[in-house]
Amino acid sequence: MAELPDIDFTLEYPYTRTTGPIMGPFLTGLRDGRILGTRVGDRVICPPVEYDPSDSSTVGPENLVEVGPAGTVEGWTWVAEPTSKHPFDRPFAFAQIRLDGADTTLLHAVDAGSIDAMSTGMRVVVRFNDERLGSVTDVHFVPGEEPPSAPDVDPEAEPVGIMEHVIGVRIREPLQPHRVAFLEGLMDKKILGQRSPADGKVHVPSRGYDAINRVSMLDAEFVQVADRGTVTSFTEITPVQYHGQTETEPYIRCSLLLDGADTTIGGVDIRDIPIDEFKVGLRMQMVWRDDITFDDPDNRGFGLGEEVYERWERTGEPDVDADLLKEHNF
Amino acid sequence: MPFEPQEDDIAIIGIAQTKAHERFDGPEVVMIMECVNTLLSDAGIERNDVGFTIAGSCDYLSGMPFAFVSNVDGMGAWPPVYESHVEMDGAWALFEAWLRLQMGDIDVAMVVGSGKSSPCNAREVFHLQADPYVVAPLGLDPDALAGIQARALIDAGKATEADIADVVARSRAAAASNPNAQLTGAVTTEELLSEPYDMAPLRAHDVSAKADGAAAILIARRDRALELSDNPIWITGLDHRIESHHAGLRDLTDSVSTRQAAAGAGVADGPVDVAELHITHAHEELILRDALGLGDATSVNPSGGPLAGDPVMATGLTRVIEVARRIAGGEATRGVAHAASGAALQQNLVVVLEGGG
Repeated sequence: MAELPDIDFTLEYPYTRTTGPIMGPFLTGLRDGRILGTRVGDRVICPPVEYDPSDSSTVGPENLVEVGPAGTVEGWTWVAEPTSKHPFDRPFAFAQIRLDGADTTLLHAVDAGSIDAMSTGMRVVVRFNDERLGSVTDVHFVPGEEPPSAPDVDPEAEPVGIMEHVIGVRIREPLQPHRVAFLEGLMDKKILGQRSPADGKVHVPSRGYDAINRVSMLDAEFVQVADRGTVTSFTEITPVQYHGQTETEPYIRCSLLLDGADTTIGGVDIRDIPIDEFKVGLRMQMVWRDDITFDDPDNRGFGLGEEVYERWERTGEPDVDADLLKEHNF
Repeated sequence: MPFEPQEDDIAIIGIAQTKAHERFDGPEVVMIMECVNTLLSDAGIERNDVGFTIAGSCDYLSGMPFAFVSNVDGMGAWPPVYESHVEMDGAWALFEAWLRLQMGDIDVAMVVGSGKSSPCNAREVFHLQADPYVVAPLGLDPDALAGIQARALIDAGKATEADIADVVARSRAAAASNPNAQLTGAVTTEELLSEPYDMAPLRAHDVSAKADGAAAILIARRDRALELSDNPIWITGLDHRIESHHAGLRDLTDSVSTRQAAAGAGVADGPVDVAELHITHAHEELILRDALGLGDATSVNPSGGPLAGDPVMATGLTRVIEVARRIAGGEATRGVAHAASGAALQQNLVVVLEGGG
């Protein structure tokens, strides 16, 4: 039997944010080679703000002023082991930098080479990266005063009105024991449920707990159920073409109550039975795939996927009375 | 003088928590169930007796969108009641429940905080709490800002590296008597100072030990609390305040929002026998002792605190539990629990608890 891999995936969300009247010019400035702050009362605040921190009144773009390019480190830490989200993959400093002409500090990265090059009160100066997209990551700082060389700027480029930020988190964990048992069962062409210690009902697939009786089933008895069952609910899905969508044709997604089980399995996809012949109460038999492997298993534990079955076929048995399935809709 | 509760006053009538697991090998829901079942059976009530349930958790930690919906299974989804959720530590769920009970139409609420942080690197999640335009894209996470804050304290002459190491040594020693702690044992300040820097001037041991865990509290309005409990612990003050998300607009060597919340909760209105502080970086204890006005008479983090075990999203609620447990056990009559959210103590919640009445 093939080995089950640990869970290892990156969950990502692409965010697009409008930049507004202050952040837009600030990010445009970073792309085009200058750093802007906002004058608020008798202070210059950088990074710029859209409001007065003391009374929240609006601060308009007429208050933008250029600051830097050099400044003074007012606080810092040395990042000995950068995370995957940091701007450098080698040790560097994060610092609070009060840019010349500003009264507050900007948090940014200083590429200093060594912790010994860092001290409170030291001077640092901006460097514009070769690739600049209108993001705070377009720049970094280095020790010293030497002004940056003027970056190449596209005079035709539009102001930065949208900021894109793909956020992501890598998730790594072992499969939980009840999931290992279920998935190993499937690779052995057995569907295993777990019997609730509270009321004896068989949960397939087990989520590791009985939500009705509020008891853990992590140590509950495993029970084999049939690869045959009854449709309890269904819908027809017409695929919408979004990023990552692989479906093109309409298909049926149904829930089934397997013989010997007390909970339904959801998310069973049917592609070869006409929708007008499909109904609640229909008796179905699973046709197993020959080689079952799980490249991307999870701990969530919904349903039986198409990595397990070729298709589901009508058994030809009489339909089950839909009224008897009312407690098993979903 | 013992506290004399009025009709609208609210008391803690039950507490439960799991161990701070380095990794819990099962669903988050099971940890919640463990707490909730203990909570209800200890209080001698049924789930039906609870009129409002609320949880604090964070789906990013376990990488499961809508994990917070599954978590309701742990609290008991049936029968349906008023239900709420905050994407914050359970201490903020307690705040909402405390407000909700003051409306007077229901009298018992259950509050849960839970988290499974073992599947992720929490630093790669929590930098997303920062300003999304000028900070988050840098990946500038709470540990990095904590390093900057610790240096600010040292530069200002308010602390030394040895003071920070002392906090860790006290935490490990205190945690020896806490069966739920993850890191315990005797370490000397000298041993700690010989370790390499991580986020200099911080070292790896200055950062809380992230854990999987859950905590739960049952609260009730006065009359019901007195019916259900021989020893209700009264919430005599509760407030929370937030500071700017721009670190450059804050004095990182002080916690202004803690001072404001402490004033709002009435911390200084009586002696503080015990305080449990939500510190995820050792130097924060020094800032918070000052902001809360705690002197030598106060036992601070007798459980070892979060440095010894940080079940993320349950950690702040666990501080409330640790204080309530000590008041219920007669070790203290009045105590303060503190919870923090955001980087470098950006947001702070303060609860004052008293026994008697």
